[in-house]
Amino acid sequence: MTNFIQLLIGGVLTGCIYALIALGFSLIFRVTGVVNLAQGAFCILAALACASFEMQFGWSILAASLGAVAVAVAVGAVVGATSFVPGLTRLSNANMLMLTAGLLTVFEGAMQLIWGSQPYALEPFSGQEPLAFAGITVPTQGLWMLGITGVLVLALWVLLTRTRLGQALRACSENPTAARLMGVSVPRMTLFSFCLSALIAAIAGVVIAPATSLQFDSGRLFTVSGFIAAVIGGIASLPGAIVGGLVLGVVNTLATAYLSSLYSNAIALGLLLMVLVWRPSGLMAGGPARRQDVRDEARVWKRVHRLSPAAGRFAAVAALIGAVALPHVMPSEAILGSLVIVGILFVALIGLDLLMGWCGQVALGHAGFMAIGGYTAAGLAIDHQVSPLLGIFAGMGLSLVCALVLSVVTLRLRGLYLALATLSFGLLVTSFAVGLTELTGGPSGMVGIPSLEIAGWAFDTTESMYHLVLVLDVVLVVVSQGVMRSSFGRAIQAIRTDQMAAAALGVNVLRTKLVVFAVSAMLASLSGSLYAFNFHFLSPDMVDATRSLELVAMLVIGGEGTLIGPLLGGLLLTLLPTVFAPLASAKTLVSGLLLVGCFLWLPHGLYGLVVDGLNGIFRRFGETARPGAVSEEAAR
Amino acid sequence: MNAPLVHSRPGLEVRNLCRSFGGLQATADVSFSVPFGTVTALVGPNGAGKTTLFNLVTGIVRPQSGEVFFDGERITGASAGRIAALGLIRTFQTARVFPGLTVLENAMVGGHRRVRTSPFAHMISLPSARREERALRERAEAMLDIVGLGRVRDTHAVELPMGSQKLLEVVRALMAAPRMLLLDEPAAGLNDSETADLAALLRAIRDTGVTVLVVEHNMALVMSVAEQVVVLEAGAVIACGDPDAVRADPRVIRAYLGAEADNQGGRP
Ligand SMILES: Nc1ncnc2c1ncn2[C@@H]1O[C@H](COP(=O)(O)OP(=O)(O)O)[C@@H](O)[C@H]1O
Ligand SMILES: [Mg+2]
Repeated sequence: MTNFIQLLIGGVLTGCIYALIALGFSLIFRVTGVVNLAQGAFCILAALACASFEMQFGWSILAASLGAVAVAVAVGAVVGATSFVPGLTRLSNANMLMLTAGLLTVFEGAMQLIWGSQPYALEPFSGQEPLAFAGITVPTQGLWMLGITGVLVLALWVLLTRTRLGQALRACSENPTAARLMGVSVPRMTLFSFCLSALIAAIAGVVIAPATSLQFDSGRLFTVSGFIAAVIGGIASLPGAIVGGLVLGVVNTLATAYLSSLYSNAIALGLLLMVLVWRPSGLMAGGPARRQDVRDEARVWKRVHRLSPAAGRFAAVAALIGAVALPHVMPSEAILGSLVIVGILFVALIGLDLLMGWCGQVALGHAGFMAIGGYTAAGLAIDHQVSPLLGIFAGMGLSLVCALVLSVVTLRLRGLYLALATLSFGLLVTSFAVGLTELTGGPSGMVGIPSLEIAGWAFDTTESMYHLVLVLDVVLVVVSQGVMRSSFGRAIQAIRTDQMAAAALGVNVLRTKLVVFAVSAMLASLSGSLYAFNFHFLSPDMVDATRSLELVAMLVIGGEGTLIGPLLGGLLLTLLPTVFAPLASAKTLVSGLLLVGCFLWLPHGLYGLVVDGLNGIFRRFGETARPGAVSEEAAR
Repeated sequence: MNAPLVHSRPGLEVRNLCRSFGGLQATADVSFSVPFGTVTALVGPNGAGKTTLFNLVTGIVRPQSGEVFFDGERITGASAGRIAALGLIRTFQTARVFPGLTVLENAMVGGHRRVRTSPFAHMISLPSARREERALRERAEAMLDIVGLGRVRDTHAVELPMGSQKLLEVVRALMAAPRMLLLDEPAAGLNDSETADLAALLRAIRDTGVTVLVVEHNMALVMSVAEQVVVLEAGAVIACGDPDAVRADPRVIRAYLGAEADNQGGRP
């Protein structure tokens, strides 16, 4: 019994932190309708800054904590003013979500550069000696956590209900148009809510730092837990955030203690899915319901970029000739190897593009499907001598099942939930990949994976893999192109921006999204299998959340909804560190910065640039590239 | 488009429909029916609940009580997709063309629900798929030509002026081969000559056997095309009948004069 109470107290303490992060989510969500995935990163930023102030500069705990929180809020203000707030007026909600995923990547990359990848733990505020009472011990830091959570919640409540600032903030969340008419500056309030949630997250980070060890990428765990807590409680409800945080903290702690830490992620995800099924609006529904039949006008696609047929034909032929000739003109093993990787990732990217670029559904855990494909095919090949091809299909089947379970639950709801369910799914797969040591080889990875062999053909050299991947990619592009030009493809694109109008025309929105998600998961799985066979090795960090975010970055940088664009993004992000070595350690940071930059200034990515360039050249030569040429191309 | 021209068989029947948002009663006990083969106009001042009624009928908003029947089938609370599949197709008050698609492609999305070839056939470009695609596209081009959008068919749809976007939405809805068409303020944003074209289009649509329920503020347009007028005020039906009778109804006159006075101040 005392043991149970002990655990319960631990759960409540963890829950406090989740509740604080969830509060930040709800605040921003209420004002903007967007979930800020970078939320968890502010926690870590403050914690790591605090560690530096304390250990390197020898500041006192109080000074270091205040300094760290100030740093995090200042960074939050800059990031908010330069990317989040401008993004709100330019990007769709789905793209805003990806923008914040990009911000998370930027933070992780920058913190990795500054603080390295080792974990940090701080000294507790009031010494190591825990309080003991009737056989129950409570670390003093726990009291700090409780107290600070209480004070913060109270302060927030006073701010929101008792001050003019709070009134303006509430006005923005209830009716932005009316608030604007009343003279409230909505962008300024948005920035304020962004900084306020950065402040809350930073304080949470500083108080939790002594209780657990944190490193540059722990932020995503906080983001996911905070989000799950917010959804459980009701994303638009501030009291809900607290309730959700406590529930999640207790359940998670009990699960870890009585089952295994392996399953705590699974249980959090399960809890999320359960709430989504039974109470989509959360335990405590709150906040205003926005009118569903009105669309925000300014935030839609501004242009279509399409190659004129002549330029398209030319580019396709030139690219094919170049790709076939390349191994002969430039027989560099390193470059060829990188190209094979790009080609393999491109398989997953095509799937991701179908899902995110064409269908508008944000998925942030695609590396999870890569992991399923990789481990299944490789494991079957090593342990049971199953032929690689069969293993690949088995992986795709398993991915299909996972995708269906995830999507049946989340696709019915807003895209937001799919994004976060996939993000936590990715983390879940990673924790299994690390934890199920007998099956996966654990953190050190799976070794001795054979080469790919199909019907007696062994693909055991870089060059043979190159040709295989090339053929596969070309086939996939041609087939996807065909589908996207069909009625089904147009329905997918209709769903991208306006599900309701699509449904009103008789498009089966749910089924279409389901099919696209399933296909996209299977392509990721295929890509993961090829990846494992190519490297003869697979470890959890090759297919973890960082990889998922990298795939998103490649997609956005290359150009969403363009099929070919992601290839350009993949080439850039893979070859840049190979060619330009100093970039290798800053790879995450660079890809995040490029993602955010592209969203803000180059919404159609590299592909948009290339298309504009090619079309311009062909127009100058007086060829057939007139603006109306789009439809002829589609007719073929 | 081959439904027989049968008058007075109830196409759409709305019974005691209620829906409130917060404390606001957007539709209160609304009942009326639209016979197949007619043009019915739904009028009323801004905020009367006309759009909400459309949302209730087409499954976008769930009614709190009351029932909706289409061709004898109960569709209360059915999903938007299923209602559309029965041939009840609507347009939106603020044009909702699909961004990222050209005008022609937007129109072709309308034909989606009648496409029979599978995506797999398109993947490998089977002749049957190509044939169907060509037929669909020719039909869309013909429709666009009729409403005068033929010239801009390869433009990005959201670049069209608002009036043209609304016409495009009508075309898109027609491409879905509706049995009944629900149009929400199709003439908003059109100039006088375009409005006259629209009136002709509505009559032409009716003559092909498609039943029309149209929300419209332009009284001249309503009087010239509608066989039945339903007047809504503050969520309730205050008059229903043929245009001349409705126009003479004192409650309607009062409601409209009141609305006129409101509009002077409220609208730009
Ligand atoms: N989803 C919704 N949420 C809140 N209020 C709504 C919603 N839909 C409609 N309303 C309200 O219902 C009333 C009727 O609106 P509407 O049906 O759009 O009127 P009309 O189309 O006749 O101008 C308005 O006061 C509007 O604000
Ligand atoms: Mg309306």
